[in-house]
Amino acid sequence: MKRIAVPSPESPFVTIRLQFETASRDDPPGREGLAALTGGLLVEGGAAGLTYPEILERLYPMAAGIGVQVDREVTVVHGTVHRDHLENYYPLVRDAVLAPRFDPADLERMRDDQSNALTAGLRATDDESLGKETLEAMIHAGSPYGRPVEGSVAGIAAIAREEAIAFHRERFTRDRLTIGLGGAVPDGFADRVAADLARLPERGPERPAVPAGRAPAGVEVLLVTKPCRAWAISLGFPIAVTRADDDFYPLFVANSYFGEHRTFNGVLMNAMRADRGLNYGDYSYVEAFVQDGMSTFPLPSTPRLRQAFSIWIRPVAPAHAHFALRQAMRELERLVRDGLTPQAFADTRDFVLNYSRLWVQTPSRRLGYAMDGAFYGRGSLVDELARRLPAMRVEDVNAAIRRHLATAGAHVAIVADPEGAAALAVALAADAPSPITYESETKPAVLEEDRAIAVHALNTSAAKIRTVPAEQMFENSDLPVR
Amino acid sequence: MPAAFARAAFPYPIHETVLDNGLQVVAVPMDAPGLAAHYVAVRTGSRNEVEPGLSGFAHFFEHMMFRGTPRFTPEAYNDVLKRLGADGNAFTTDDWTCYHVTAAASALDTVMDIEADRFMNLAYGVEAFQKEAGAVLGEYNKNYSIPINALLEKVQDTAFTTHTYKHTTMGFLADIQAMPQRYDYSRMFFARWYRPDNAALVVAGDVDPESVFALARKRYGVWKPGVAHIETPVEPEQTAERTAAMAWAAPTLPMVALAYHVDAFDARSARGRALDVLAQAEFAPTSRFHSDLVLERQWIDWAYAGAEDRRDPTLFLLVCRVKDETRVEDVRREIEATLERAATTALPADRLAAVKSRLRYGFLSGLDTPDQVAVTVCSYLQLTGTTGSIDQTQETLSRVSAEDVRAAAAEAFRESNRTVVTLRHAP
Repeated sequence: MKRIAVPSPESPFVTIRLQFETASRDDPPGREGLAALTGGLLVEGGAAGLTYPEILERLYPMAAGIGVQVDREVTVVHGTVHRDHLENYYPLVRDAVLAPRFDPADLERMRDDQSNALTAGLRATDDESLGKETLEAMIHAGSPYGRPVEGSVAGIAAIAREEAIAFHRERFTRDRLTIGLGGAVPDGFADRVAADLARLPERGPERPAVPAGRAPAGVEVLLVTKPCRAWAISLGFPIAVTRADDDFYPLFVANSYFGEHRTFNGVLMNAMRADRGLNYGDYSYVEAFVQDGMSTFPLPSTPRLRQAFSIWIRPVAPAHAHFALRQAMRELERLVRDGLTPQAFADTRDFVLNYSRLWVQTPSRRLGYAMDGAFYGRGSLVDELARRLPAMRVEDVNAAIRRHLATAGAHVAIVADPEGAAALAVALAADAPSPITYESETKPAVLEEDRAIAVHALNTSAAKIRTVPAEQMFENSDLPVR
Repeated sequence: MPAAFARAAFPYPIHETVLDNGLQVVAVPMDAPGLAAHYVAVRTGSRNEVEPGLSGFAHFFEHMMFRGTPRFTPEAYNDVLKRLGADGNAFTTDDWTCYHVTAAASALDTVMDIEADRFMNLAYGVEAFQKEAGAVLGEYNKNYSIPINALLEKVQDTAFTTHTYKHTTMGFLADIQAMPQRYDYSRMFFARWYRPDNAALVVAGDVDPESVFALARKRYGVWKPGVAHIETPVEPEQTAERTAAMAWAAPTLPMVALAYHVDAFDARSARGRALDVLAQAEFAPTSRFHSDLVLERQWIDWAYAGAEDRRDPTLFLLVCRVKDETRVEDVRREIEATLERAATTALPADRLAAVKSRLRYGFLSGLDTPDQVAVTVCSYLQLTGTTGSIDQTQETLSRVSAEDVRAAAAEAFRESNRTVVTLRHAP
């Protein structure tokens, strides 16, 4: 049991994060989704003497909730409450972890919710997330990382209540627990929480290793088909670094230059959206990234032992998909070849140093970042950047790019309508030119570059292109992915 | 209830002034070491899109505001933000448009310099205009795969006949596709609405109010006033129920939406706040409706109820996603029965007290960062023109009685005032 405290005595709130190194990675074969269902039931399945509706009744006047976030590596039970209410609030959080009831009606409700999240949500109505999860499935084929946290439709249906109870008993153990407290933490509160949670079992089973992601053999394309008017594209490949590695930090700077999330800083955003109006946005990542709600900041508590580089191309008109893919690959190749100029590096470094301070504005986020740092055996990402970047050199960044981003290909996930997908598959296999035309006036330099993009070789072939209807994705253990 | 909380709703001091050109300037010092959030609210949104064929323009124009001035090209503007490590963006609603930058408090003058410059000196060519139209169509496309967006678009289009709330902030697709041809109109839009007498500046964070005012005078003082006055058409009273049914090509769970016309926002209106209480009392996770339909019978997996605060008469919406296709009509009847009961039966006192506590602590917990504080102040300023409406709203809420809630329900939830839209999967 580890303890992390990030107090903010001035805050009117107290924030609690109980993090277990138990997550979708631990789902047994054929029970994909067990960790998510178990995690959900901790906070929505009743606990100790209270049913879930009774817990809601108690939380309601406090305007507080007990949340759970299940990811690939960790599960966090978390909540923030006004300090006026801590005494009434804390026992509810404690009991969620110590004494969940797994009430059968709640289990059936959450089973439905989780299954619907795949069938009516991801596969049907959220093309951008479907593209991202498909990319994860390609990179981590055969690994527990290679499917959504929600699991598979068949896996969710097969879970028995006893399995969720056993999963909690065996895997929510002291050796896997980090207690995080932040905000206006009262004196003695941390000891009280630790004493209470000492009632958890001491040790869980060993976790099997997570295999490295599979490097692509050239450009491997999976077209996921469903009715859609614009096509979401995600592409990427595994990289060998995480926040635990020194090389992560120069790579982080390189990525900010190339594709900082939801800003106009990135090369991709400027080339694809600003100059060409191809879509709403184009970004890149050097680790798993989940946006925190409506903010543009990364959500904490999504650490991973295996990471990937990825590019997110937001939906493009079908006629532009081939071009957009070529352009993104070409920009990546250019990044590897040319690296950053000293000026671009200096500007990006300054940006990252200042911008990262905005990620830790609330006690809950400060705490989450500190806990993520501890997961990797480092300080919080914000502290590591502040410590490392002042001494970083452009050569470090460009060398890290060459070490980790030089690639002969990528896994490419495209969500497309069936007819269009068939035509794109043919065009991709033939490496056919994909010229682009605009209805609007376009700079001569852009038009000139377009001619090069339109014939940029993609290193793919018919054997590397597959098509799968969306309704087959995440249906059972065997993903329709090589 | 703790005394400090009962006394004042808004937990930070508000300092304000009005520049000679009409720009309202508000400074809110708060505990946020070294940070300042700079928010400009322009009181123009899709509500102002009165001309046919030009829906979506307020939002499109928000995009154009990032396309540069003679002093700062888009790249130069972004370079400044980048150097500061600032978080900057914008959003548009039915009623207003917000431009925000959060950065080190020490950079406030620089932020104000680049922000004020674009409000006064925006200049873009036809090419940039047309490229941005492509990005806006891309935004529509990314939203369009999500059926709730299409459902809400249909609700507005059906419930309104005349007022501009008939279209969403994104606008009608045909109008979005025609945007590249509207360059001249975009310049007129800027001249009409982007005026200091139609805007407010709010700075929250680690700031000294007098310095904020001095910087505002320096940077925004020369912005020329002259907002246009164009009437938004008035929606006639609805006299009979309206319905619409939508088919959705991709697999999805069915949804049902009920919408009732209700009043514009008024901080003093007990009826408005009573509907906030009603939405919570009857549809929050602790309500009978939720317990019955989500937790016990499990016919639906989520429900939304409530009215957005709007400058003009708006809609009280109830939306449910139904897990079983055959239950859509049943769910609709349950919603109607719940509303009917609310219109005839008074809320128990303990339930009313719990809802009020919830709403007040919820309000407070949404005021944790400079961004949250600034956007809250902006939203009340754009709604009412005053910051006093923030505490006034909470004060009105504290006085809402069970009879206020019942009467508000009886007034709003009449069949002739109702619009019902369903969405079902149909390949």
